[in-house]
Amino acid sequence: MTVNEAVPRGEGAPFTPRPVKAGADDPVEVRMTVNGTPTALSLPARVTLADALRDHLGLTGTHVGCEHGVCGMCTVLVDGEAARACLLFAVQLDGADIVTVEGLGRPDALHPLQESFGRHHALQCGFCTPGFLMSSYDLLTNQPDVTEEELPEELSGVICRCTGYRNILTAVDETRRAHPGGVPAPGNCGRTALVGRAGQGTDATDGPDETENAASSGTQDIVLPGGDPTIAMRITTAIDLPEDRVWGVLDDIHLLARCLPGAELTDDYGHGHYAGRARVSVGPVKLTFNGVAQILEHDRAAGRLRAIAQGQDTGGAQTQADITLTTEATEAGTTMHADAKVYLTGRIAQFGRALAGDVSRRMFEQFADAVTEAAASGRAPSGPVKAPSALSLVFAPLLDRVKRLLRRGGRRRRGGREKEH
Amino acid sequence: MKAAPFAYVRPSRLSDAIAELAETRGGGKVIAGGQSLAPVLAMRLARPDTLIDINSIEELGVLTRSGSALHIGAVVRQRRVERDPLSGSVPLLRLALPWVGHRELRSRGTVCGSLAHADPAAELPAVACCLDAELTLTGPNGHRRVSAREFFHGAMTTELTPDEILTSVRLPVAAAGEGFGFAEIARRHGDFALAGVAVRVRLPAGRPEATLTAFGVSDRPVTRDVSEQLAAAVTDSGEAPADRLKGPLSAVADELVDTDGDIHASRDYRRRLLLALAGRELSKAYERARDGAEEVAT
Ligand SMILES: Cc1cc2nc3c(=O)[nH]c(=O)nc-3n(C[C@@H](O)[C@H](O)[C@H](O)COP(=O)(O)OP(=O)(O)OC[C@H]3O[C@@H](n4cnc5c(N)ncnc54)[C@H](O)[C@@H]3O)c2cc1C
Ligand code: FES
Ligand code: FES
Repeated sequence: MTVNEAVPRGEGAPFTPRPVKAGADDPVEVRMTVNGTPTALSLPARVTLADALRDHLGLTGTHVGCEHGVCGMCTVLVDGEAARACLLFAVQLDGADIVTVEGLGRPDALHPLQESFGRHHALQCGFCTPGFLMSSYDLLTNQPDVTEEELPEELSGVICRCTGYRNILTAVDETRRAHPGGVPAPGNCGRTALVGRAGQGTDATDGPDETENAASSGTQDIVLPGGDPTIAMRITTAIDLPEDRVWGVLDDIHLLARCLPGAELTDDYGHGHYAGRARVSVGPVKLTFNGVAQILEHDRAAGRLRAIAQGQDTGGAQTQADITLTTEATEAGTTMHADAKVYLTGRIAQFGRALAGDVSRRMFEQFADAVTEAAASGRAPSGPVKAPSALSLVFAPLLDRVKRLLRRGGRRRRGGREKEH
Repeated sequence: MKAAPFAYVRPSRLSDAIAELAETRGGGKVIAGGQSLAPVLAMRLARPDTLIDINSIEELGVLTRSGSALHIGAVVRQRRVERDPLSGSVPLLRLALPWVGHRELRSRGTVCGSLAHADPAAELPAVACCLDAELTLTGPNGHRRVSAREFFHGAMTTELTPDEILTSVRLPVAAAGEGFGFAEIARRHGDFALAGVAVRVRLPAGRPEATLTAFGVSDRPVTRDVSEQLAAAVTDSGEAPADRLKGPLSAVADELVDTDGDIHASRDYRRRLLLALAGRELSKAYERARDGAEEVAT
């Protein structure tokens, strides 16, 4: 007699990858959830999970050392258990749930393990830190009853070249004591972006292909991330023109799009769905986002226009935005508020947050100026508004600050509230 | 380094996997956990033209217990076995698993993959040999069953033909009055053993029966009946202390170590390790068997 008992498959959700048959040069499709975000990639079978995360999704927190399973730098969670990302081919993980160190905590709300590592100087060069964090997260979650004596052995799967073991053990032990029932779940696994790279070329060495990669179907619904945005801001602009002149611009989406620096509408799918492209360059970073936008609200009477957009660049940088424009009639003309929530993932998110905030704010200011110009002239600004260039974007915010200090006040009130996460 | 390109097939049925493997005419490799295969591919020590991923074949993910055996399918991960209450019925497996690499490797590595890989210093092949486990090999002509002691031919060579898949292993469930021991010495926890032992002791009618499997000291796990040696070490008061076992075991230890030694450990050093480990673990297993037996008797 065989007793066929239901057996739990560890803490993570079980998954059964779909059948596949691919030649040596064929890309294989793989769908995984990475830090709470569903992604779709198309990769040659020999690309490891570590390389897929780093090169295709821009999540470079997962480090790579030996690439054959010895050093532990590449440790991530696969369905809730620590595993070596260099010993897994990404294609094997169809349907899997992956958490990388980026998913563990947020800069303003670190995971207790991250805090403890900082407090105890458990990181020197920091190269091994992501591996140790993910390995110890697995340990304290799956074996919360582990003893202090067992820690050195249980953490022996990760090597620290700086030999910071003593402090690492202290940090993990302190977290263990503070959370006897198991440590809190990863704190940064909200949906952050949704456009995967389905249908995208072959491997990480592909150059950016600006025209072929328009993000999937334009009529797909855009789902905004649940977590806090990377940047939230409100720009208020006083415009010396009556409200209906301003709405003359807001009503014409094509005209409006041309007011957005670096942006271009490439397709109009109807029903408020559009495809478009936006270029951003900051110093050596040059990104071209292909994406989709959707008008959710267009209410001239209430003075509200709300649009959401998502886009991704070929390097895996992803962005989503939720923008609301509101207008109020004033004695002098119109006050326009632009409220924007911007969500960034991938390599763009590695910018200093403050810089990314400055860049975005600068773009919205240019946008507001362009809307003013278009409303005044009834025409699109002379040619598409120039893509924000390296120098102007890096220096303009600084210049602006200086000007503001000198000017005190002026025509534009900057209520720019910049919330950094 | 990165793996050379390979074709990739992930069937959902065993028969398809067998057919795919046959189609590659020896150029294909099965991938289970990949924890041994991926490094070999990354270092380009192997360049199979096709990988056959067996992880979506449901029937290979089965972990069940029948009356007398624990059945472990080919894609059952080591860490799952480690945690599953069912595997408590095979104490030797439970004793050995924590020694297999690190937690992060056991999350993905499979029990059968370790057997198929047949590293001479690996723990699970020794467990299978010590318990005389039964392996099921499936090929184009159907299933055949092979005893673990006949499965390992040498370092990384086994009874598997290139068109066969090791579909499952069956390990005997411990009976009352059996005791086990497992230990190894490695340079660092999680590394392959310089020398290690798996032992099984039973006391039918009070007379000791003992099996010793050594690993890391030859090109495959080696198993000996050491009942006589254990009996010779038992004192009048029914103890078998480790130091009394060393004398009787020393000839066995000498004979079992047939590696020339390497930069990490000479042949002599491995003999001394083996002797120390064998004495200690046999003594423990004997105690466990005796205490268990007493418990059952009263
Ligand atoms: C840093 C490091 C340390 C390690 N330390 C240890 C250790 O201390 N002890 C230890 O035992 N192991 C150790 N390992 C190896 C290990 O983790 C695995 O347990 C095991 O050897 C491979 O299992 P797998 O399922 O990953 O097999 P895979 O890597 O998928 O396969 C290994 C080989 O077996 C073949 N194969 C696999 N499954 C089957 C099957 N069902 N039928 C036919 N052929 C099959 C493959 O084709 C391949 O040739 C270590 C590995 C690393 C990277
Ligand atoms: S890079 Fe994966 S273990 Fe070293
Ligand atoms: S802190 Fe430098 S490797 Fe560990």
